[in-house]
Amino acid sequence: MPVLQNLSNAVVLASTYVLMAAGLTMVYGVLKVLHIAHAAVYTVGAFTGLLVFSWLGNFWLALAVAVLVSGVVGVLIYRATYFYMLDAPRTVPLIASIGLFVMLTDLLQKGFLMGPYQMAFPADGAGMPRIETGLFALTPTQVLIVVVTGALMAGVYVLLTRTRIGLGWQAAAMDREMAGAVGINLNRVVALNFFLGSALAGAAGVLVGVYNNSVFATMGDLPSYKAFIIIVLGGMGSLPGVIVASLLLAIIENFLVASVGYVLPRDAIAFLVLIFMLMFRPHGLLGQE
Amino acid sequence: MKNKFGILVVLLMLGSLALAQCAPAPEASPVAQEPEMETQEPEAEAQEPGTEAPGEPIKIGFFSPTTGFAAADGTSALQSAQLAASMINEAGGVLGRPLELVTYDDAAAPDQAASIARKLIEQDGVVAGISGSYSGATRAAAPIFQENGVPMISAYAIHPEITKTGDKIFRVGTLATVQGRVGAELIGNVLEAQKVAILTVDNDFGVSLTEGFKQHAETLGLEIVLEEKYPLGETEFRPIIGQIKAANPDAVYATGYYNEAANLVSQAKDEGLEAPIIGQEGYDSPKFIELAGDASEGVIITTDLNRDSEREATKLFLEQYKAKYGEDADMVGASAFDAVQVLAYAIKTAGSTDPEAITQAIAGLKDFEDAASGPFWYYTPEREVVRPVSSQVVKGGEFHLYHEFDDIGLVEAP
Repeated sequence: MPVLQNLSNAVVLASTYVLMAAGLTMVYGVLKVLHIAHAAVYTVGAFTGLLVFSWLGNFWLALAVAVLVSGVVGVLIYRATYFYMLDAPRTVPLIASIGLFVMLTDLLQKGFLMGPYQMAFPADGAGMPRIETGLFALTPTQVLIVVVTGALMAGVYVLLTRTRIGLGWQAAAMDREMAGAVGINLNRVVALNFFLGSALAGAAGVLVGVYNNSVFATMGDLPSYKAFIIIVLGGMGSLPGVIVASLLLAIIENFLVASVGYVLPRDAIAFLVLIFMLMFRPHGLLGQE
Repeated sequence: MKNKFGILVVLLMLGSLALAQCAPAPEASPVAQEPEMETQEPEAEAQEPGTEAPGEPIKIGFFSPTTGFAAADGTSALQSAQLAASMINEAGGVLGRPLELVTYDDAAAPDQAASIARKLIEQDGVVAGISGSYSGATRAAAPIFQENGVPMISAYAIHPEITKTGDKIFRVGTLATVQGRVGAELIGNVLEAQKVAILTVDNDFGVSLTEGFKQHAETLGLEIVLEEKYPLGETEFRPIIGQIKAANPDAVYATGYYNEAANLVSQAKDEGLEAPIIGQEGYDSPKFIELAGDASEGVIITTDLNRDSEREATKLFLEQYKAKYGEDADMVGASAFDAVQVLAYAIKTAGSTDPEAITQAIAGLKDFEDAASGPFWYYTPEREVVRPVSSQVVKGGEFHLYHEFDDIGLVEAP
């Protein structure tokens, strides 16, 4: 088995998982809401990216517009729904978000939006080089995914640790009421948090759309549960946890399939890993007990 | 402890959500889930078939998944069936009456297909039904049509069990095992390969194709060097492609639908897999070529639709579909189109809308030329259509004829 080739493929797969789950864990960190409709924002991002790309032919512009539009959609979702449920039991926004996800997906599948068919997203590698060594090879598209994911996560890290917004954010994640009491503008913090988290989902949608060269209305089905597995695995609300869990999951999936085949669907493997995690370390890999 | 419980609850909810994605119920079909419908006597039919006034439309039931994961196929099937009905009606209808398709969305869910079948028969009073859906849903609907004595045609669901339901259930697509056999013939005798790797999509469709393939591969003496199943909807084939490369086959027989196939052939090209990938009708959509791009060049598939056919019905269907919907037609659409054509022919031949007479007329069909997916020679006593099976190769971004299989011993159902 070409170990390094499998490993490099796993890193690319993990990058897509990181982007899918990062926004979700950020939203959970501040609001303690499991935002399943995040997966619909991911589809919106992919669709927007594809529209701009087929109109202007520039991948980077498409990515930028998709990220902005997704961020705005995320904030709108927050203002229209979760905003009114912040003090309700946690299952209330959860159920709302599931309903919202199903509704948005069905809406996107209508003929005047995405329609029922898969659409190609032929951005190839957006000018990225092909990496070819004796031990492994990465296609330009794979390079693109790793590079964009790395850049976005570095940006998020800087934002969270080096800016006032990020500090306010961390404070709100620790204790929302106390943060409000010491003068942090909670509404702004939460809205920004939703904007950024949803923007990441949009970027994930665009990148996965390019990676699989297909964009379609039900593409959010996968992240709707996969991203959830990842944030529980990593520890709810922990960004480094998302990265570690994504890598772990992608490596297990990849090597299991490469060595013994699809004994189980990859998603079933992920759920199994999750069950073991809940049995032995319910707060996740990097979560706080 | 409380926290653990909370996560468990969430997990359960998400699990059911994941399940719901296999069978999305939201706003799906206009079918009310009325359990009491089951207890209704067949006498309670809204209209006794065959007694309507002349000029009144002849109702034909049709269901296909127009929402959910199978919406692409369901939409193609629905549009093609509607095209067939409107073409027939423009030409004067059947027995001087227009055809009316009563259509529902089953979201490819067996439970929904079953209640739709009841509704079509008991409330809409259709004289015959067409499944434009997948094997699972079609298998659920078939017994209900059979019990009520209403003929049903499966357009492109190709699982062997469907027609075994009973004497009222017919098929216009090629039985999966026959198509698998043709796949083996293509690889063994036309491409003259010796070692083959098999990749099967793990559902009714893929498993029955592979069964037929392996039976015939054995008689041809093909060596199977690797056999793997993959789950429906898989997007990441790179690890398995590594395994295939290591097994070094002369050809890969891969069942699946166009979205999986597009990822498979693109990734195979990226990873430098030399062996040709041989597909089947699941690949047969212009979307396959669009999604796979250059990687689709040279891929050979077995299918029912021969796009290079000089036959009038095929050319008419391809042209009219493109003109009406602005997209290129696919195999699924051609099959649904043909199911309507066969029913129209049967009603015409029977001279009545009596379900029993229609059934007899379908069973007696001979050398039927109005089908877009090739001439239908005849129906076997097991209600499987016998017709040539085509193989197509992707060349210059289009499907073109590669080889036609018309040996009766090969294409007739066992």
